[in-house]
Amino acid sequence: MALTGRVPLLGLLGLVAVVLRPSASTVWCWLLLVAILVAVDVLLAPRPRDLDVVRRPTGSVRTGETAQSVLVVENTRRRRVRGVLRDAWQPSAGATDNRHPLRLAGHGRALLETPLRPSRRGDLRAVGVTVRLLGPLGLAARQRTVQVGGTVRSLPPFASRKHLPSRLARLRDLDGRAAVRVRGQGTEFDSLREYVRGDDVRSIDWRASSRTSSVVVRTWQPERDRRVVLVLDTSRTSAGRVDDVPRLDSAMDAALLLAALASRAGDRIDFVAGDRRVRARLRSSGARDLTGRLQDVMAEIDPVIAEADWTALVGAVQGLGRQRALVVLLTPVEPASIEEGLLAVLPTLTRHHRVVIASVKDPELERMAAQRATIAEAYDAAAAERELRRRTRTAEVLGRLGVSVIDADAERLPPALADHYLALKAQGLL
Amino acid sequence: MTTLPASTGASAPAEAGPPTGWRRHRSTLLIVGALLAALALVVLTQGPVTRAADLDPDNPGPDGAQAVARVLVDQGVDVEVVRSASALASTVLDPDTLVVVTSSSDLGTSTTTALLDQVAGARAGLVVVDPGTRLLDALGIDGDPSRVEVGDGVLGACDDTAYDDLVLVVDSADAVPLAGCFANVLAAQGGIGGDLTLLGAGELLSNDQVLRGDNAAIALRLLGGRERLVWYVASPDDLVADDGVSITSLLPDWIFPGLAIVLLSTVLLVLWRGRRLGPLASEPLPVVVKAIETTRSRGRLYRRSGDLAHAAEALRTATRSRAGARLRLGAHAADAVVVGAVARHLGRPEPEIAALIGAEAHAPGSDRDLIVLANDLAALEEEVRRS
Repeated sequence: MALTGRVPLLGLLGLVAVVLRPSASTVWCWLLLVAILVAVDVLLAPRPRDLDVVRRPTGSVRTGETAQSVLVVENTRRRRVRGVLRDAWQPSAGATDNRHPLRLAGHGRALLETPLRPSRRGDLRAVGVTVRLLGPLGLAARQRTVQVGGTVRSLPPFASRKHLPSRLARLRDLDGRAAVRVRGQGTEFDSLREYVRGDDVRSIDWRASSRTSSVVVRTWQPERDRRVVLVLDTSRTSAGRVDDVPRLDSAMDAALLLAALASRAGDRIDFVAGDRRVRARLRSSGARDLTGRLQDVMAEIDPVIAEADWTALVGAVQGLGRQRALVVLLTPVEPASIEEGLLAVLPTLTRHHRVVIASVKDPELERMAAQRATIAEAYDAAAAERELRRRTRTAEVLGRLGVSVIDADAERLPPALADHYLALKAQGLL
Repeated sequence: MTTLPASTGASAPAEAGPPTGWRRHRSTLLIVGALLAALALVVLTQGPVTRAADLDPDNPGPDGAQAVARVLVDQGVDVEVVRSASALASTVLDPDTLVVVTSSSDLGTSTTTALLDQVAGARAGLVVVDPGTRLLDALGIDGDPSRVEVGDGVLGACDDTAYDDLVLVVDSADAVPLAGCFANVLAAQGGIGGDLTLLGAGELLSNDQVLRGDNAAIALRLLGGRERLVWYVASPDDLVADDGVSITSLLPDWIFPGLAIVLLSTVLLVLWRGRRLGPLASEPLPVVVKAIETTRSRGRLYRRSGDLAHAAEALRTATRSRAGARLRLGAHAADAVVVGAVARHLGRPEPEIAALIGAEAHAPGSDRDLIVLANDLAALEEEVRRS
């Protein structure tokens, strides 16, 4: 049951009554009158359970973009109903405009659209649909909340896709480049074409030139059908926030850009995410729209406050196949967790694969090291310097194991990782 | 200034000199002085204190009663003027005293009660001039004063031989609800210890009208009957809170039920606005860990343990390794090599650099030294980077 704004107004109308008959009993009589009217109105109000509410599937949307959730409301009785309906979602779903006036004729139907603008990654749920139906006097209403299940999948925003066109252009540059400078283990013979000024003279194919009237050069295309394995660490270190964005989300951004780039370059991409155990696995065996599927898988992944079990994760990588691959470990270079977990199992990976560690750097650390005005800041700076030194050392140790470390802040990590991939591709080192 | 020749224009300000305090504030001081003088003049030329209240014994105006009071004094009556309830209470009354109350509209209920008790206790006489309805109630007399047409005069015509053949001539008069002289304008009630006399025509005491008809005689016979006259000029200052009209009697009678209705409507308003449309939507909150948190705690730990040596060592090592990297000495250059290279690079003496970044440099002795060291190291690093 709920009251409407007319009830206090009706109460105020009692002023006329008390002016005409000024006594305490008038007040009590008026109160009784209001109570009776409200009670009658509630009894006469239509019952919310006579409405049939169904939600249409909402689908998925990138975080920060807008989706619509559609409710179909049907009046199962002949009486017309009016009132209001609230479609409640958890706050991060961004359902701001979620109150809809209801006015349904007998057996009428209405489509109610609630705009959603998710501000968090993951599956965001509808909390409940509250229906409030007014009585004939408009004084009071019956109210009921029913669970009408619904979720919107909020995908990682993939903000780094703005870097994709420039990297694709550089990928095309690799295609058909004259041979010698780029020829390596993995470059493949592509075709012959006429010499143009600027081509390396060493790439001239003399045998082919002798058969034609013009000079012909060999061209090469970058190797294709290589394997890229993205390993996303979802353990406690990935939960840490850098400028209020979890490291995990920044790492996802980098993984998505690399996956989009590599799939265009004709490479196969495998994806593993996990901490103590493997949480998600995706193989791109000939699949189109890889980034879409990857986003879908990533949407569900949340950081876990637990130490990563690198043995299990490396086992999962080995299980994906024995073919040589570029293994990208998306994990912060935290000296403690690297030294205790990852270092022990890295040699098994580096023996078969080329390993890159992509780490989200915290710019706050360097700011902290630079601030030295007060005693508290001086001690903090000492702690920060110590931490930075440990990181450098860890990176050195990793480098000695043949692992490349890309440590950049959240904004620069995705392009840096993509550039590293392109460099490897250009040198035929995949 | 404009009349000065152009050639001396430049030196003119120097001649005038900086304005002194007197010059700058001359006009202000003059105005203040004039005001003070005017005020003093007003105060000094003010005559003896006069009062403005009607029928006040010190009021020489047409509505005052100074004439009657002076004549009474001349006749040998001891006139004592009382202007407040507390002064009245401290005045000793006796059977040879008559108390006259003017400005009786300012007489509060509590003051009236106290006055009646005081007069009855001392068996003194009491004359109340121009009593109003409320005052009559307080005096225990039923009825209201009613207007009397005096016209060319009204004859005493009563049992009291003192007033029997006198003629009262005033502009307006009220009859009191007691039997008495001058068509009940002057009446007495002997019920209380002293005589209680009510006079409905106060104007007969006024300077303006005391000489009309036999007014002067009536006044003197009324007030000059006893050796001492206590003239109480009632003042509004003596009213205490409950003497006033209660607020409830001024308000319309529906106001309290109306307030109840408004209160009721407010409660209904609260019920209307307080009912939520469905339960609150809650958010399953994620873990919030700042990546920098562990480093910050380590800094706090250093600070709490006051480990100056350790902190200084960390800062020096960082500067040394960065400076070494900057001078391309390789990651594993010995400390002494770095110190020497930095000193040569900057052209500064080696012991000075060694005291800053050397591995064997002294640990700072106090917090202050640590801050100084930290900033010196930052400055050194900047210097190496710049040069």
